[in-house]
This record gives sequence, C-alpha cells and structure tokens, in this order.
Amino acid sequence: MKAYKKEVQFTIWMTAAFILVGNVGLIFSIFPVDAMLFGFPVMYIVPILMGWFGVFLLTLVAGKIGNRIDDEIERENDTLGNADEAKEV
Amino acid sequence: MEQNWQLDNPILGLVVVGATFVLFYIVGFVSNRQSKSAKELYVGGSNVGAITNGLAMAATYMSLATFLGITALILQLQVPFIMLWIQLILAIPLITIIYGTSLRRMGAFSPTHFIRDRYGTTASIIAALFMILVSIMYALGQMIGIAITFETLLGIPYITGLFIFGILIVGYITIGGMAGATNNAAIQMVIIALMFIVPLAAIMKAIGASGWYFPPLLYSDMVPAMMDALPTFFDYQFSPKWYFSIIPALTIGALGLPHLAMRVYTASSLKSARSAMVWFAFILGLVFSATYAMGFVGVFATTTQGVTISDADADKLTIILNMVYNPEWVTALVIAGAISAGLSTLSGNLLAIGALISQDIISTLKPNISQRLNLRIGFIAIFAGGIASILLAINPPAFLVVSILWAFGLAGVTNAPLIIVGVWWKEANKFGAIAASVVGGAIYIIVSPFVFPSIVLTGHGVTDGMGLSGAMLAVPISFILLIVVSYITNRIPSLSGKLTKQADIELIERIHGWKDIKAYRYNSTIGAGITVVVSAAVAIWALMPWGM
Repeated sequence: MKAYKKEVQFTIWMTAAFILVGNVGLIFSIFPVDAMLFGFPVMYIVPILMGWFGVFLLTLVAGKIGNRIDDEIERENDTLGNADEAKEV
Repeated sequence: MEQNWQLDNPILGLVVVGATFVLFYIVGFVSNRQSKSAKELYVGGSNVGAITNGLAMAATYMSLATFLGITALILQLQVPFIMLWIQLILAIPLITIIYGTSLRRMGAFSPTHFIRDRYGTTASIIAALFMILVSIMYALGQMIGIAITFETLLGIPYITGLFIFGILIVGYITIGGMAGATNNAAIQMVIIALMFIVPLAAIMKAIGASGWYFPPLLYSDMVPAMMDALPTFFDYQFSPKWYFSIIPALTIGALGLPHLAMRVYTASSLKSARSAMVWFAFILGLVFSATYAMGFVGVFATTTQGVTISDADADKLTIILNMVYNPEWVTALVIAGAISAGLSTLSGNLLAIGALISQDIISTLKPNISQRLNLRIGFIAIFAGGIASILLAINPPAFLVVSILWAFGLAGVTNAPLIIVGVWWKEANKFGAIAASVVGGAIYIIVSPFVFPSIVLTGHGVTDGMGLSGAMLAVPISFILLIVVSYITNRIPSLSGKLTKQADIELIERIHGWKDIKAYRYNSTIGAGITVVVSAAVAIWALMPWGM
C-alpha cells in the first residue's frame, strides 16, 4: 500500500511541478511583473531559465525518486513472495 | 526588396551535406547489421545507454523547425511564441514519469502496442491510423523542408532535391533501423548544437554583443537598443487563456507523439530511461535557449542593423544571419546542421510509421506470421512510409501541410488520453477508448481551420492553425468520453462478455512492476471524477469567447 500511494502521489505532484515550471509564462500572464533581472525583463528571462534549469533540476529529482519507488515496489513484491512461501510451508 | 539568399558556391554546401550523409550511412549500416527481430528494428534491442538516448531524444524532437520555422515565428509573434516553445521541453520528462517507464516495462514497441493490449484490436487500429496520419504530417513537413532548403540555398530544383535526397534519406533510415537511427540521432544532436550555437556566437560578436561566448543566455546588452527600436518585443500580447491553451494542445499533445515515446522504450533499463531524460532536458534547454537568442538577434538585426528580411524569407532567418555575418563555409555547416535536424526527426517518424503499420496493424490482423516475415514487413513499411512522404511532397495536399504543432494536438486528442488513463485507471475500457479517439478526433478536425474554415473557435489564424483552441476543447472532451463511457459500459451486464476486465487488471499491475493484484490499486473513482470535472470546466472555457 505504501509504495503504491507513493507512486501515485509522486506522479501527480511531479507532473504538476513540471507543468508549472515549463509554463511560467502562463503565471506571468495572470500576474504581470514589471522588473528586470540580469539585464532582461523578468517576464522574459525567468520563463526561459525555469524552462531550462528548472526542468533540468526536476528531471534529476524525478529520476532519483522514481528509482527509489521502483525499489520499494520490488521490496513489497519480495515480502509478498516470502509470505507466499511461508503459507506453502 | 526581396533578395536571393543562395550560397555563391553551392558545391561547398553540397560537399559538407554529402559528407554528413556518408557518415550517417556508415553509422546506420554498422549499428543495425545485426537486426534480426522486430524488437531490434524498432527499439534497438532495448539496450541504448543513457547519454546516447538522451541526445537522440533531443535530436528526434528538434526538427528542421529549430533552424527554419521557430525563428520565423519569433520574428512574427515575438515573445508569445517563445513562451509557447519553452514548455515543449516537458515532453520526454512527462512521457517518462507518466507512462514511459510502465510501457518500457511492458516491452512495447510503440504507444499503440499498449493500446492494443489494453483496449483490443479495434481501438488500436483507430489509434494507429491517427498516429500514422500524425507521423506522415510530421515526416512530410521535414521532407518538404529539406527539399526547399536544397532548392533555395543550394539552387537544386525542388523535385530533383526531393527525389535524390529523399531516397538517400529513406535508404539510410531503412538500413539503420532504430539502432542506427539512435546512434545517428545522437551524432546529429552534437552537429545541431555545434552548427547552431558556434555560428550564433560569431554573429553576436559581429553585431557587438559582449556575451558572444555564451549565446544562449548572454545577450542582455542588446536589450536596451531592442526596447528603443521595438518596444513591443517583450509584450505578452495575449490573455492567460491563450497561454493556458498551450497545456492541452502541446504539453499533453507531445505525450501522444509516437516517435518520442518510442525513444523511452529503447532504454537499456528503467534507471537508464530516467537518466536519459536528464540529459535530454539539459541539451534541449541549451539549444532551445540558443534558438530564442537567434530569434532575438534576428529581430535585433532587422530593427537596428538595417538587415532586410522579406516575409517570404522569414523562415530562413538563421541561414540569412549567417550569410550576412559569417563566411560562406560557416553557412554551409549551418545548412548541414539544419538538414541533420530534419533527418533525425524524419528517421523517428519513419520508424514510428514502420512500427505502426507492421506491428500495430498487420501483426494485429495477422498475429501468426513468422518473425522473419514480420521483420521484412517492418523494413518494407519504413521504406514505404518514406516513399509515401516523398510522393506526397511533390504536390502536397493542403490539409497535410499544416503546422506540425497542429499534429501535436491531434496526437493529444486521439492517443494521449487512451495511454494516460489506460495506464492509471483499471476501469478504462475499449468502448470508452473508441469513443474518445473517434469523437475527440472528429471534433478537433472539425474546429480546425483546414476543413470548415468558418467553424473555428477564435478566428485568430495562428491560434486556430496551431491547434491551440481546438485542443483546448477536444482534449478534455476526449478524457471525459473515455472515463464516462467506460464507467457506464462497465456497469451494463450485457456488455461484460465483450470486455477483458481480468486481463486489463493484470496488465496494469504488471506494467507498474507489481507481481500481485490488489483491488485498491489504480482504481480511484474519485480521481476519475475529478478528471471529468476539471476537463468539463476546461472544455466549457474553450467554448467561451476568446476575445482575439
């Protein structure tokens, strides 16, 4: 149950995070900002930076957590296998 | 006044392009000489390493549009188009986490392979036909683009270029299979990145930009002059609704593109697939950012430096900037880079067409053919798909030559909901899938400006033409139909004999990695209900006035 819940929650939250980070332009279209950053208008450069480095960082996180959840599913499968063996004895 | 933008010395361009073709043929031949099964042909034996796969994913995704189309649209639409393009980077990460690893675990060749096992033959053939249409639209765009590049830049007549280079391209893809296409795509990615970014640095240096040594991000010293010359460049122009519509049309649309998903299945392991997505994000972010810089420099050069580019030449912006600021041999290398970008995408499209025809249609209808015959049909299907796109490119039917971005929406309507809901909800069944794909697809086509020009949602050419408005209506309808029709038909006793509930449940548990079956897993009625409510809200919003 634990690994299943983690898998579903991870997929929902990670999908939401990716969509948010890749669509910062949508956020700025709702809440415009009139400021400059690194010599560019914030509304121009922040979506570009988030669309590159933000997404890149999220892929690192998603890769790590995804691998960990796979291991947990594998462990729950093993527990299940052991329980079956115990039953057969 | 229109100028003739052609290399003074086309032989130079031909030699460079010819050299890259020789390289691609050798790599394709060496990589694929051991393809003995369909698995090796379509997913490279599922043993591709993370870096090669990440680079190949990026190259497959970056079409000829990177060099030709995007910069023209930045010239036309300016910042809104950049905002639209940024989220395309989400494709592989979202495919990987939402369904890619599950389908890789299943051993699927193509997304429709999963649809066949999950929803049965009829639904998979409908989905496969839509996917073949999407892949042909995509492949045709690349084929036409490559022939036009040869015509306008190297002076080779369109039909001659189309046939000679078209057949050369189809030949190397057929010889190489997925293993060859993957290794070639990884090489092509390096060529694309170098041939785009290094010449851009030289252009920026010539213009006087101090950050020329890192073109993707260091061009802020041009911003004040740009704001003086063209104060509207950074304007968002459109409402939040327009920016929201990008999500159903392109973010979800990319999840249905078969040639992207197939890259995930080539991974040697699930861990490797996840590492590949990291490499993909890094390299794609780099080249995408350089593309925005190229668009910016193009607008800057035309508004402040006296460079004149006619509307008809807008899509040649990258090449023209190189011709103006760089020596001719550099432009020849850029043309080779552009051709490489077209080739990597085209190879992904043709392999998808091959897998769709041979695995998802012929093998579905005739499941007992031998492995040897199956492989032969695969090669023939890839070759036939290529020849079909060459023949269509001679005098392309208007409805096929629409924006590639419109094809994203079609994939998002007809394919993505079936895969996403199919992987995560046991109740989804074939009646829901067929209803979603057929009705959703029909609505998307009807509200596009290509069939009934008077039935459109916004009347704003680019918004309707790129499928943004159509997908905002049709994608949620597709999700609603899939969930509601499945839910109802599962509760009609007379239909239960036509459903394969137990097999569906076992498949879903298995592709998520479970060895047992639990009723509580992937069975949330509340989750399905929330999806229906949110989808209904989005569809209603799409029908309300856009104010454009």
